[in-house]
Amino acid sequence: MENSEVIPTNDHGNVLVVDDDSEIRLLITKFLQRHGYHVYSSADARSVLETLKKFTIDAIILDVMLPGTTGIDACRQIRRTSPVPVILLTARSEEDIRVSGLEGGADDYITKPFSPRELLARLRSVLRRARNGSVKTSSLAQGNILFDGWTLDTLRRELTTPEGVLIDLSTGEYNLLVAFLEHANRVLSREMLMELAKTRTADPFDRTIDVQISRLRRKLETSETAGLIIKTVRGAGYIFVPKVTFG
Amino acid sequence: MKSGRFSWLPDTIVVRAVLILVGALIAMSLVGYWVYRVGAEGLATNARDRGLAERIVSIKRAISAIPDEVERDKAAHALATASLEVHWSKVSLVLNNAPVTERSRAMEDRLKELVPEFGTESFRVGYADDGALNAGEGDAYRHMLLVSVKLDDNTWLNFASPTFGTAHHLAGNILAIAAIMGSLIILVAVLLLRWVTRPLRNLAIAAERFSLDEAGDPVAEIGPAEVRRAAKAFNTMGDRVRRLVSERTMALAAVSHDLRTPITRLRLRSEMLDDEQTRNLIDDDLSEMELMINSTLEYLSMGVANEPPKVFDVSTMIRTIVDGEADHGHSISLDDMDHASVLGRPVAMKRAVWNIIGNALKYGSKVVVRIKREGAQVRVEVLDNGPGIPIDEIEKVFEPFYRVENSRSRQTGGTGLGLTIARSIITEHGGSLSLKNHALGGLIASIELPIFPFSKTSRPLTGTDTALATRLQPPNAH
Repeated sequence: MENSEVIPTNDHGNVLVVDDDSEIRLLITKFLQRHGYHVYSSADARSVLETLKKFTIDAIILDVMLPGTTGIDACRQIRRTSPVPVILLTARSEEDIRVSGLEGGADDYITKPFSPRELLARLRSVLRRARNGSVKTSSLAQGNILFDGWTLDTLRRELTTPEGVLIDLSTGEYNLLVAFLEHANRVLSREMLMELAKTRTADPFDRTIDVQISRLRRKLETSETAGLIIKTVRGAGYIFVPKVTFG
Repeated sequence: MKSGRFSWLPDTIVVRAVLILVGALIAMSLVGYWVYRVGAEGLATNARDRGLAERIVSIKRAISAIPDEVERDKAAHALATASLEVHWSKVSLVLNNAPVTERSRAMEDRLKELVPEFGTESFRVGYADDGALNAGEGDAYRHMLLVSVKLDDNTWLNFASPTFGTAHHLAGNILAIAAIMGSLIILVAVLLLRWVTRPLRNLAIAAERFSLDEAGDPVAEIGPAEVRRAAKAFNTMGDRVRRLVSERTMALAAVSHDLRTPITRLRLRSEMLDDEQTRNLIDDDLSEMELMINSTLEYLSMGVANEPPKVFDVSTMIRTIVDGEADHGHSISLDDMDHASVLGRPVAMKRAVWNIIGNALKYGSKVVVRIKREGAQVRVEVLDNGPGIPIDEIEKVFEPFYRVENSRSRQTGGTGLGLTIARSIITEHGGSLSLKNHALGGLIASIELPIFPFSKTSRPLTGTDTALATRLQPPNAH
């Protein structure tokens, strides 16, 4: 354990960074400190649990490829004692690792080489979710969400039609759909949807919520079900109509 | 092939071929000898038959010339010899109802042929009625074949000879039989030679099928000595080639993979810069490097499926790509969209389509995508308004690392792998990717993919259709 000196700058939160590359550890630490976080860092996963006991940690950024205990095992161990949000750092093309990471209780993952701003956005998002006590991604991640014969696999981020055909969704559309599914049968205003759906993305090119909704509708609805799945509530926003089950 | 009995012979193709040749020659000689024997016998029999016929004719004339019945009988007995018995009688000893057999018919035909003066009614051929005819003893009466010749006064001369009707009229068939036997020998010889050269053909097939990914079964080192040696050399060479390629591939993959860490560091470092313009430029360069690494890694892992096959809607996938590119400020539109389900690997397919659309956006300022169902196929066309590609270079752009000369690609980056990867993925899905220049300028990239045969009433899809799933599996999933 090589705790870097904690520089209390602001109280955005305490973040533990676990990565075996000392340069990256240092750079992430500096970057996050600049953005107002307390940062603890560690080169391996062994002492994570100790750190969790000693200090108040609000979020963990955990590299998957660690010497000794892998990030995923570490994530499972953390989950046994603590609900602290975990963001996994993975290499590209490691779909299996991502899925098992989410199954192991991670809240989100980000792919190396990542853009620091993207990391910051994800971090803010998991922290906000944890504070709001809203439905955690990890609890969503435990299984599938079913509606109207459709299935949304939140581990793989895959949407399948009642016939079993995979429907491709953009990140924005996926986030929007998750927001709708978590708040089915409730009227959601544009502002609420924007807040709920942008949680995972920092894409500056995201279109307005209306464009996103019309795109999502186009993918979900057929000529028979047009307007029946996501209904427009005039002057109020939108409502997701079908019965949603988490299974 | 190790045969215990012939182990003293060197087991080479030469020895095997010589053995087959000698065997065939001996068999041919035997057939020739048999043909000669049968032919000679036929000639002898013919001559004997002719002699018998002549004697029958002359005896008939002699007896006809004797009017007295007693004298006739005596003369008949006097003219009889051991090989031809003669007996005169008032009625034919061959009964009208005598059964006709193959032998009697053959005899009758032969006599007609040899003695044309005998009319049909003037002689009979049959078996002597030795009392067995009605005794129900089956073939008992067939012991002695008789020829009865009618004299002018309606009395009969009966001839009997043990050689009657024994001649085999094979003369005409001899050549046919010899030809059939000869063909059989040739057939057997050809089959044997094919059997001898089979290991050679197997070796050729193995060489044709040789693939780099396949750890593959080595060629069986069997057969004649030359082939065993060639098979062994081939296996050694295959191993060496695979090892060489996999070492190079691993080295390239390792470098590409390891570059991610420094790129991650650089991204973090550039974030520390206060000069936003420089920071953005560095970020762009890093993005380009990332793209190159990713496409190199993708190219290296081509054909290695780590993604299970699923049924996916290719149209919504393209919709996502087009929407995304439009959001990033590109002038791109999706005209005509039919829905089409395809069985395959969605992440790989998305990469393929994205490469093609990205290519179009790189060279054209405006891109139009069309998705149309055509029978059992879905056709995706990506049209751009760029400069197109010279005709003679159109196929070359699919070669890895190829770049169209004087293109703007060097400014716009890219590794020259995009279309290579795209075509490989699409072909793997049983589809095709082709490029052609538009008459009004610009390039048209056409993707054709087989639509998943999808019936609304059928079983819920598991996403695995065996035939295609097998094709989508690489020869060896690492």
